Amino acid sequence: MADEEKKPGFFANFKSILYGMAGHDMARYALKTRGSMEHLFILITMGDLLGIPILPPYYSLRLLPYVVPQISTWKRRMLREKDLTDALA
Amino acid sequence: MNSILILLIGIVAIIVGYFVYAKSINVNVLQPDDKKATPAKMYMDGVDFTPANRNVLFGYQFKSIAALGPILGPIVAVQWGWLPALLWIVLGTFFIGWVQDYSSIMLGVREEGQSFGALSYRLISPRSRSILITFIYFYLLLIMGAFGVQVGFSLLTNPAVPLGVIVVILVGILAGQMTYKWKVDIILTSVITVVLAFVAIWLGTQPFAKTFFSNLFAYTKDADGKLVSPTLFLAVTQAKFIGSLLVVIICYFGAVLPIWRWAQPINYVAFWIVSLGILGGVVGLLIARPGMGDFPAYTKFTIGIGPLWPMLFVTIACGAISGWHSLVSSSGTARQIEKESDALFVGGGAMFFEMIFAIVAFLTATAAFGSFQGYQDAGGGAAAAAVFSKGLSAFMNQWGLDRMLGEGFGTAYGSVFLTLMALTIMYLVVRFMRVASAEALGDSIPLFRNVHVGSVVALLLTLVLIWLVPFLQIWAVFGAANQLMASLALLLVTVWLKSKGKKYQWTFWPFVFMFVTTIGALLYKAYEAFFINLPKTADPVANKIASVGQFTLAQVIIGGVSLVLVVAALLLAWDALKVLQGSKAPAKAEA
Repeated sequence: MADEEKKPGFFANFKSILYGMAGHDMARYALKTRGSMEHLFILITMGDLLGIPILPPYYSLRLLPYVVPQISTWKRRMLREKDLTDALA
Repeated sequence: MNSILILLIGIVAIIVGYFVYAKSINVNVLQPDDKKATPAKMYMDGVDFTPANRNVLFGYQFKSIAALGPILGPIVAVQWGWLPALLWIVLGTFFIGWVQDYSSIMLGVREEGQSFGALSYRLISPRSRSILITFIYFYLLLIMGAFGVQVGFSLLTNPAVPLGVIVVILVGILAGQMTYKWKVDIILTSVITVVLAFVAIWLGTQPFAKTFFSNLFAYTKDADGKLVSPTLFLAVTQAKFIGSLLVVIICYFGAVLPIWRWAQPINYVAFWIVSLGILGGVVGLLIARPGMGDFPAYTKFTIGIGPLWPMLFVTIACGAISGWHSLVSSSGTARQIEKESDALFVGGGAMFFEMIFAIVAFLTATAAFGSFQGYQDAGGGAAAAAVFSKGLSAFMNQWGLDRMLGEGFGTAYGSVFLTLMALTIMYLVVRFMRVASAEALGDSIPLFRNVHVGSVVALLLTLVLIWLVPFLQIWAVFGAANQLMASLALLLVTVWLKSKGKKYQWTFWPFVFMFVTTIGALLYKAYEAFFINLPKTADPVANKIASVGQFTLAQVIIGGVSLVLVVAALLLAWDALKVLQGSKAPAKAEA
């Protein structure tokens, strides 16, 4: 059956654990850096969506098609309550 | 007792603890439901909230929780004898350690991935968030002091070590450049940088490097043949001064440079050095299967660091239970859990695995030297990092590491390994302290918003601790703060479980034990500082006090920090107990 996923073997599991130890944190930080840059860009260009008018709407509209895929995750991240303890993870 | 038997005790504890006790709590109390959307799926933003495979998360959790704590704690604690230390490692993990890690993850998963600050605000009281942040700041400062003094004073003062550390850091920067800028394949990057790192450690053990650093530290040999460096100020020698400055300079760059440029690639290279070291040590241990010789099972109730209760329980923190784990579990791991049923494997499993790591560290002190005298000659509790590096080297020499790469390579390798392991956490801690000071003081003193100012202030405070306070005193208070953080995490989980109408005895009693023990430990350290140690300054010669000014300041710092932590914890516990008794509604209900 196509739906049935093959269970990973011992070496695949070991590889995942090794990746988790060695590279996962690195990948997360890279994602965080990219995410922060992207979200800052969207805030500058699409601030109106959160009630923060920064750029004239003309430019926002021109950029809108490129930003649409990011908007839902951007809103979630911008509006989420943040705490200092977030900085530890 | 034979080391293999000790390892078997650990394995039995995992079988009973994880497969029986932990699984029964998981199934009967928290009842994970894989149909429920976890925060990683519900709030997926591709950054903080992203579902990850359980094996990847297991590795991530283990790497995040296992630093110097599970290594140094057991090595310091065996001064009471090997039996109390071993019992606390095994029973602490069995009844408390995994409980905290696992329940912190589940709390985060069930409460929309909120961090501890936000949860304490909502579940306990509005002021508890500020108290928690203050508490964490001091706790992290103690981490910096405890790790910094071992790295700066104990590891980097060995002339065979600094070159290895410096070059491995440069190799780490190269790894970052290759990965992020030149887009070189990660496997090729790993092979090149890890080989270069090993060459660097080997070069550090060569006569030219040792002579250079011996001259830099102005080492001479005393009558016993020990290396002696001239004292510059207080009790800080030239070697210790340079070693401690090297630590803060490395941490400064780690705190102010982009993560990808410094901290992450260095940590990546360090990971391989640490992993291969552990592997080499364990293989050597299995080959030699050493016994403990005349290492006593129990020495006496009160030793230099204090009485067995409460001090043993704060001396071994990570490896039995640690508050740091709850911060990682709630803010980091809980937001990446794909299915609720993964939480036990990730949180509980990583904790039990860390217990084995702590047992291996315990064996480097008790079995590697074959006697109690050997442990003391290697440095004893006051130089726990040196004991570990020599012990690990003794294990690795079973398969001939020093024969292959030269006398002293194993010890230098162990020292570089520990230094890198400590730095991995220290970068993160300085970054956090910088953000915390900017948040707390940025409005009134805008200068603190500057990344350099916040980092320098955090590092100056670190230097004060390193230069003034002896390691065993910092370690005891750091351990107490760490365990107090754990007890506060257990309290938060207990409040949450009660609010959900679930059984909470399995977190409440561990909280009570940890809270009473750690408050007792901190009060003892404050009492010791103000009422036992300070009066000694009246007769410095009889009490062997080299510098009265330094000694006095050290006692005031340790006593003062202990009291601040006690007050913060009592305020938080008071608010939480009011909620637990039902006399005060949590913040959410008030709103």
